[in-house]
Amino acid sequence: MKRREFILLIGGGLAWPAIARAQGGAKLHRVFWVSTQSEPDPFLDGFREGMRALGYVEGKTVTFETHYAPGDPQALRKIVSELQRGDIDLVVSSGPATRVMTAVTDIPVLFALSGDPVALGVVKSLAHPGTNFTGSTFLSLELAGKRVELLKDIYPKLRKLAVFSNTDHPGEPLEWRATLESCRNLGIEAAYVPFCGAREIENGLMAAGKVDADALLVFPDAVTLVHRAKIAEFAIAHRLPSMFGWSEYCDAGGLLSYGANQRTTYFRLATYADRILRGENPSDLPVMRPEKFELAVNLRTARLLGIDLDVSSILFRASKVIS
Amino acid sequence: MTDGAAQSSSCTMPPRRSLFCKYFATLFVAAVVPLILGAAVEASFGYRDQRRQISAVLQADARAASDRIEAFTDGIRDQLGWMVQLPWAAGDDAQHKIDALRLLQQVPAIVSVSLLDETGTERVFVSRLLLNRTGRGTDMSTDPAVLGARANKVWYGPVQYQRDSEPYMRIAVAGSLPAAGVAVAEVNLKLIWDVIAAIRIGETGYAIVVDDSGHLIAHPDISLVLRGRASSGSFGRIKHLAGAASGAAVITGDRGNPVVALSVQAADVGWTVIAMQPASEAFASIRAALWRSSILIAFGVLIALALAYWRAHRMSGPIKQLEEGVERIRTGQFEHRIKIFSGDELQQLALRFNEMASELAISQQKSARIERLKQFLPSQVAELVEHSHELLEGQRREVAVIFGDLRGFTAFSTRNEPDVIMAVMREYYEAVGAVTTRHEATLIGFDGDGVMLLVNAPVACEQPATQAVRLAIDLQMTVQSLAGKWCDAGHAIGFGVGVAMGPATVGTVGYNGRLDYTAMGAVVNLASRLCNLAKDAQILADPTIAGRVRDSVPLASLGQRTIKGYDQALEVFAVAPADLPLKPPGSGQRRREKESQDH
Repeated sequence: MKRREFILLIGGGLAWPAIARAQGGAKLHRVFWVSTQSEPDPFLDGFREGMRALGYVEGKTVTFETHYAPGDPQALRKIVSELQRGDIDLVVSSGPATRVMTAVTDIPVLFALSGDPVALGVVKSLAHPGTNFTGSTFLSLELAGKRVELLKDIYPKLRKLAVFSNTDHPGEPLEWRATLESCRNLGIEAAYVPFCGAREIENGLMAAGKVDADALLVFPDAVTLVHRAKIAEFAIAHRLPSMFGWSEYCDAGGLLSYGANQRTTYFRLATYADRILRGENPSDLPVMRPEKFELAVNLRTARLLGIDLDVSSILFRASKVIS
Repeated sequence: MTDGAAQSSSCTMPPRRSLFCKYFATLFVAAVVPLILGAAVEASFGYRDQRRQISAVLQADARAASDRIEAFTDGIRDQLGWMVQLPWAAGDDAQHKIDALRLLQQVPAIVSVSLLDETGTERVFVSRLLLNRTGRGTDMSTDPAVLGARANKVWYGPVQYQRDSEPYMRIAVAGSLPAAGVAVAEVNLKLIWDVIAAIRIGETGYAIVVDDSGHLIAHPDISLVLRGRASSGSFGRIKHLAGAASGAAVITGDRGNPVVALSVQAADVGWTVIAMQPASEAFASIRAALWRSSILIAFGVLIALALAYWRAHRMSGPIKQLEEGVERIRTGQFEHRIKIFSGDELQQLALRFNEMASELAISQQKSARIERLKQFLPSQVAELVEHSHELLEGQRREVAVIFGDLRGFTAFSTRNEPDVIMAVMREYYEAVGAVTTRHEATLIGFDGDGVMLLVNAPVACEQPATQAVRLAIDLQMTVQSLAGKWCDAGHAIGFGVGVAMGPATVGTVGYNGRLDYTAMGAVVNLASRLCNLAKDAQILADPTIAGRVRDSVPLASLGQRTIKGYDQALEVFAVAPADLPLKPPGSGQRRREKESQDH
């Protein structure tokens, strides 16, 4: 046994050490970025950062072709035909654009979804996508209820909650339904304030101001993320304790946020992009889910709100405190 | 070189293996075999040491990983232990909830925790994803987690894959007091990734964790874990192979490459930590050493080749030259010389060879000269020239001895002037010399008027007796014809001959370069006595001669005669007068005269 191993080793060992390492740097990879959001795109920035961290140099080893169709997934259908020209190595889609990309079957597609990719039909299972799709999902549905709970923990007097939601977001109805259900469990009246895309955000906020709510819950998506400062300002102005999906909102003045770390998610997405560009099959790459959730609280905002908040119920479990 | 050798040995069988090849092979093997053996031994020892070292390193790393994983689970267990310290009391739920929320804050891996009272009813449920609950909830008293925790204080549930992808397990801890109830936590095992991913063995080595049935729990590549049970086949195999070996085993890793793997059991949870390092990396140093040795061997081989070639060439080259030289000498090219300047025995040999060639050339010249000379010399002389050495050596052989003696010489010499005597002597000597030469006999010497001749020594002849008798007859005739002339001049001189045959010692004797060939023995005395007995014109022979020449020359017996020095009388024979030519007139009278004078 040992001798055979030894001989094997000598035999194998004498083959000159494989010099051919990953040649990821040699080729220029073309990445197609498809989104129904509009620029500036914080997700693209996060993804770019991830790719840079993995050693990709934009313009040298990777180029991003960005395609935005704000609020109009149908407009992206034209883009799908563009993909037929054949020199695209990878498509990264965020938001509802993923649904349109189901027409693409021969190019790997990476997605970042709030909803369930299995329900959306782009993968067969989380463990084995079995298609040209893979990516990460944010578990937004499960967290939607949790956000309401946390809001009630910090503001026990909460009776009516304004739910500010971009309808132009995949899985938004499901998220609204989950929120509504937990509101019911917690004895809170939910006031649905929908808007569609960045154009309507001002109107949406005006509508939110009129529902006479005790607090504001904002669904996390690119539009609200881009306009987070405006929304946070609005909440403070209307003395509404606000709850968001990602800690970036808190940095911009939101009171609370609970959700997965965006950067981590996009870094991981970049890792998958790297693996696919190196030749791995997306159908073998399981869909990623976050396992760490950040609870952020902005004490400055809490002071600015000037209302009676049970900050202590949150502070001891917050992972990020902004003061 | 080889062509020359082939040509020179064309007449003989060409050697099957040339000396060059043998020397070359021997020298080469002598240099290379120890080198290769040394390298092989070095490599095998190096491999063993390296393997032992790798085993130790992997053992330490796997143990460290296992310790960290135990610390992970122990941490959860201990934290849960805090939850079940105090017995449940009414209105405690809120405080317990805060404790549970704190627990979640403390332990990121815990996704949710249920706190149960002594009846096994859920009182508090806190989760990161689901809504928290307080107050009496579901009865979980029959849950295996509760039963297990109550039985063993701590219960570790099996690994389960949520939606077939994310690994989860439940850990339950029961309080020391039954009234404290049970805490059941759901743990996301993806969090172990932090523990495992931090472990680096060498450059690219890593550790993995599998459960009892080979399900992957932790792997630096989290995507493999997220594949759920699907990958358990290949990891089950790795677990089995790594567990089967006592130390580190070389197996095919999960990436299909050979790895050195060693497994360690994490005691509490029954998981297996497998530390792996790619064989290519683990044995890189030994491989580098092998490469170094290989390069050295290659160098050694080249040097050995060159040296062996040079040495063998230096050895076989001169030998081929010598062989060629011998071949040339054989074909008569004595002027051929060998030029070897190796400064060793071969050069010495070449020198000797050249000396030999020149000596051979000289002796060849000599023999050629003799060959030429022999055409002009009597065969006897020629042979003497050729074989003088052996012929003239002292030896004992049968010879015929002839003595001749003038009769009446004393009276003649006293009566005549010296010049007359010298003239007579000169004629006599010339005649004897001529006869001796004619009959190929050996003239031993003159002694005044006497002469001694030998037949069959030193040059042998076929019939020495017959030849001796014929010589005696010729001699008698020749001297008698001279005697007739001397008689006419007034000198009364006669001539008698004695012939005897028998063994004698012959050889050269002498002193200081003055050498004489002579015969010694009874036969010489006998011939001399017979000569003295012989009358003028008479030839007397002994019985040996008589016996030998009976068929060719008739001899007449003169009967028994007493001979001085011999005890017994000896039969003496005389050559029949018929064989002697007619004597000139007056010879009979002169003979009588002489006889009376000599006696």
